[in-house]
Amino acid sequence: MTIFMITVSHLSKSFHLSKEAMKQQDDKKDPRQAGRLFQALNDVSFSCDKGQVLGLLGPNGAGKTTTLRILASALKPDSGAIVINDVDIIKKPQEAKKKIGFLSTKTGLYNRLTAKENIEYFAKLHGMSEQQIKEDGQALYQQLDIEAYLHRRVETLSSGMQQKVSIARSVIHQPEVLVLDEPTTGLDIMATEAILEFIDSQRNLGRPVIFSTHHLDEVAMLADKVAIIAQGTTCFSGSLEQMQQRSQCRDLRKAFMAILSTRGQDSAQQIHTGEQ
Amino acid sequence: MWQVYKKELLELVRDRKTLFFMIALPLLIFPVIFAIMGAVVASAAIEEEQKVLRYAIINGEQASRFEESLFYHRDFQRQEMPLLQDEDIFTAIRSGTLDLVIKVNAQHQDDLTAGQQSQWQLYFNDSSQLNQVKQKVNKVFNQYLQNLRQDKFGELGINEEQFKLLMKPVLLKTVDTADERENLGEQIGGLLPYLLIVLCLTGAMYPAIDLGAGEKERGTLETLLLTPISRYALVLGKFFTIMTTGIVTALITVFSLVMWSYLIGELADVDVVARVLASVGLTDLLLMLLMLIPVSAIFAAILLSISIYARSFKEAQNYMGPMSMLGFFPVMVAMLPGIKLNWSWSLVPISNVALAIKEILKGTIDHWMLVSILASSSVFALAAILFCVYIFNKESVLFR
Repeated sequence: MTIFMITVSHLSKSFHLSKEAMKQQDDKKDPRQAGRLFQALNDVSFSCDKGQVLGLLGPNGAGKTTTLRILASALKPDSGAIVINDVDIIKKPQEAKKKIGFLSTKTGLYNRLTAKENIEYFAKLHGMSEQQIKEDGQALYQQLDIEAYLHRRVETLSSGMQQKVSIARSVIHQPEVLVLDEPTTGLDIMATEAILEFIDSQRNLGRPVIFSTHHLDEVAMLADKVAIIAQGTTCFSGSLEQMQQRSQCRDLRKAFMAILSTRGQDSAQQIHTGEQ
Repeated sequence: MWQVYKKELLELVRDRKTLFFMIALPLLIFPVIFAIMGAVVASAAIEEEQKVLRYAIINGEQASRFEESLFYHRDFQRQEMPLLQDEDIFTAIRSGTLDLVIKVNAQHQDDLTAGQQSQWQLYFNDSSQLNQVKQKVNKVFNQYLQNLRQDKFGELGINEEQFKLLMKPVLLKTVDTADERENLGEQIGGLLPYLLIVLCLTGAMYPAIDLGAGEKERGTLETLLLTPISRYALVLGKFFTIMTTGIVTALITVFSLVMWSYLIGELADVDVVARVLASVGLTDLLLMLLMLIPVSAIFAAILLSISIYARSFKEAQNYMGPMSMLGFFPVMVAMLPGIKLNWSWSLVPISNVALAIKEILKGTIDHWMLVSILASSSVFALAAILFCVYIFNKESVLFR
């Protein structure tokens, strides 16, 4: 049996809806809703190994962000396990936070601080010493080519520059795993390119990357593996080739649509084609 | 925790809005507003003082000496017009043709001869707080009364001294045991705690919204929650920042008001502020500031809880209105007449501090009460902080 660096097994998560949210969900007629209880995730499983990039796909509201938030220890699952290098991070969330670097479209930067102050602040919250920050930071700033505007306030930077600073912020503490929630949504071409290059560089460093996206071209370009979530359940997890084989479509878009349309008809064994 | 505190303060100091509310507003804008308001009121009062009042007198022949005094007085200008009924008088005053009408009793001379009290009427619009109609008329009227009294004394064969003795055979002279500080403390003791406590609340509001709902809206809170820092440390860092801004705003504002009042007092040769400062002393001044710490702590924890509960900056602002009322109410209660600091009141949060500041100002504080106030306030502040941590741990609140 293959032992992966990250294994996400049978995650489930429910939320109690507010009255407003319940009304909105009522309109959507989502089968996951039962009164005020909303089953956001129900059996989400996938895995990713060292140096692999996993693309997390799924329609809006499928549960991608909830999955990634659980992975980053921002939310606690009702059941299931996430193991990174033999450590169950649900039982040790503080450990998990040290192991994971998280990035989303919202850069999560403080506008009134400079780029350097932002990066150093998060480094200190991760328990890094001044010396460590200085040493690791220097290499990172060069790699991301952000030295020229390190001392400028974030509010004065372009979205591309901000995204690069945000990348530095998310990896300054040398995380073992990178989690990216729709990192290119709403970005211009230059900023998107910077993100894609960064993901690729992480693969080369041997760091596993899990990223959610709606852009199948990005998946085709970067992903070694794909996990598709629909209505809170994984309906496919495996390599791109396996996805194409299962759907019998060469075109990724068509393959994605075919898997979504056949979900529920397959057994769990058939769905998780990639892992034994 | 201190990393969060340092970063939050740095960010707030770089925020123009915070700087404006914390420093510019109290140091420059408030005094300018107060000065403009003072100048407008003073100008209106001077105008009213110098105003020549247009009047009419009915049955003036019954009090010719009074009529004559009024006619030659520089504050009055007689107008002649038919005023047969009360309605005519009301119309003339409402239209601004006249400022006042004096209706002398038609039997005034007969009443005087018969030794009976006579009643006159003074008609004027008394709705304006600044108007000086009554005062100006009284100046002339009192002189007329004095003359009448002297005439009567003459008729009765008694002089003014004998009359005084008849009216008040014994004079009760009061001796105030309260020193100047106690009196001043009583006079300004109601206002100062109100000002200090309300400033602690309003000064903390904007940073509280920014540090909770603002972070949520900008997406930085989620990033922060993904770091290994504990929720306690995160809440305490933010809590101390909000508390600091509340206290600093109150201090800057009070410093500004004292400084400007002192400067204006020096210019106007009024030494009230200097006398208060001299009588209170440094120790008591520090004690008053010490009292602001528990108040700010309670406000900071409650405001942060509200702010983090809100989905957005705007929603947090909507919650702050009712919160202000909750802050003002205990201070207002402490200002009610008859409410004094005792052991029971020392346990009531916010009100106890308002009462204590008043007692400190008067120099009559029982220092053991301060221990009780600090202890009870600390318990409330701690409960509020724990509630805030509880809110910060709720997924349903953080990801509403």
